[in-house]
Amino acid sequence: MFDEKDLILEARHVTRRFPSAGGRELVACNDVNLKMYKGKTLGLVGESGCGKSTFMRFLVWLDRPSEGEIWYRGKDITKIKGKELWQMRQHVQMVFQDPSTSFNPKMKIRDIVCEPLLNFGRIKPSEKNAKARELLELVELPGDFADRYPHNMSGGQRQRVAIARALALEPEIIVMDEATSALDVSVQETIIELITKLQREKQITIGFICHNLGLIQSFGHQIAVMYLGNIVEVMPGEGMADICCHPYSKALLDAVFDTKMDFSKKIEPIKGEPPSPLDVPAGCPFADRCPHCMEVCRETRPILRELEPGHEVACHLFEGRGTA
Amino acid sequence: MALLEIKNVDISYGKRVTVKDCNLTLEKGEICSIVGESGSGKTTVIRAVLGLLAGGGKVTAGDIIYEGRSLLKLSDREWRALRGHDISMIFQDSGAMMNQTRLIGNSYVEYIRTHENISKKEAWAKGAEMLGRMRLPDPDRIMRSYPFQLSGGQRQRVGIAMGMTYQPRLLLADEPTSALDVTTQAQIVRQMMELRDEYGTSIIIVTHDLGVASYMADKLVVMKNGVIEDQGSREHILNETDNAYTKKLMDAVPSLGGKRYV
Repeated sequence: MFDEKDLILEARHVTRRFPSAGGRELVACNDVNLKMYKGKTLGLVGESGCGKSTFMRFLVWLDRPSEGEIWYRGKDITKIKGKELWQMRQHVQMVFQDPSTSFNPKMKIRDIVCEPLLNFGRIKPSEKNAKARELLELVELPGDFADRYPHNMSGGQRQRVAIARALALEPEIIVMDEATSALDVSVQETIIELITKLQREKQITIGFICHNLGLIQSFGHQIAVMYLGNIVEVMPGEGMADICCHPYSKALLDAVFDTKMDFSKKIEPIKGEPPSPLDVPAGCPFADRCPHCMEVCRETRPILRELEPGHEVACHLFEGRGTA
Repeated sequence: MALLEIKNVDISYGKRVTVKDCNLTLEKGEICSIVGESGSGKTTVIRAVLGLLAGGGKVTAGDIIYEGRSLLKLSDREWRALRGHDISMIFQDSGAMMNQTRLIGNSYVEYIRTHENISKKEAWAKGAEMLGRMRLPDPDRIMRSYPFQLSGGQRQRVGIAMGMTYQPRLLLADEPTSALDVTTQAQIVRQMMELRDEYGTSIIIVTHDLGVASYMADKLVVMKNGVIEDQGSREHILNETDNAYTKKLMDAVPSLGGKRYV
């Protein structure tokens, strides 16, 4: 469903282990394979602690995987360093969840949005004013905001500034870590409209971390569901509610409350909480909470199989229905 | 007679009036959701009901009537008997309301012994029993844990268990699920609905999650800039209202199979 020639980033067998007390190991990402396409949004969904942020941090070099490769622009970006890494950083930018903590409170907005440009010598200090105005107008803020400090702005405005800063270097990929979770729904809507508009205009690839399935299905092109470090399902965003078939994705969907739902529906939340990532069950990681758990689920871990093009699922229920 | 009546209430912090002319009636066993954007004054309203306005806030006009008597004229002694017994509150992060350096059990025992003259041992047993009823696995272990050793969902359930110990007639919940994952949120929402069904507790829930608010509520109140913009039954607010702000707010909620931006 996606054109392979638009493939711009591919993660292959990415695993991240953190050493833990008592010589144990915490596996935050286990054999993650994901692809990102030009101008498309990859949504990564899951509960807290499932490893979704850990994975996205590899893309912006805030961390490196223990094993596996991430191919981008013909290089394995997990191995690069020094000058090459510095140059590469221009192409991947990030927007954090809470802009009030990711901005320096003592810097003016002008300096915040222009810092990456000055860093790479793309503009001269004398051009700062004009460039800051241009960037702010790009995210639909008044140019005069350049003179403000972060604390003079509302949460939604700050998030727009964060997007402006990420756009400054005209990156190919932007990683957004829960970029709208701290905002009110009405503000969230306008930010999503802005992001999708900019994506269309500039053909930016977005990696969006989110725990709200209702939100991510409204603008994600492909959606990956993660549970305890494992990708359990990858599916297209359009019509996701009908396509999704992994019991965990279904449970996540059932847990979404929205104003158009059937209010007489009884909530049937999945039992318990995810086990500690320190002792992930031997078989399927979801086995203990799964309503369809079978013998085989406790023994062997299911692998991702393709059910249809663009739809992969890791579950024994669908064994034999697709190709591994 | 209504359980709670808020009549023409103004609330001010210093000279600034933050909530203006607030009117709300809650019947027994009714669930009311207050929704609105941040800073719209929704938390202020329920804090006023419990007499817990922060930073010198005061009710400057109107009256709050609970079971026929005004809450504004209560003495400290009367408040102590009422709070945590007849009226309870659940906070956004129940872990933060507990003392981090004390065992949950010890905090719980202190709370129970404030309201009831029983031995520590009995209070401990009572606490553990309540935790069990809130479907916390292994209540004794939880009693012997510190707040930071529990997950967010578990802490929230401890908060609800504490609030429900004396089966209060009115439960105030301030963003009880905002810090939780969707799956845990669903569990907590179900638990709160069960409280109403089992004990007939009236609930006021303040949230900015319109989905949760509409699922739970019999009655919805929309606030904006300290003023109640719109209120009515769920049916009315979701489908029939003419209020432009309410409509805009409801349209902004992302829904499954709803509008797509790409």
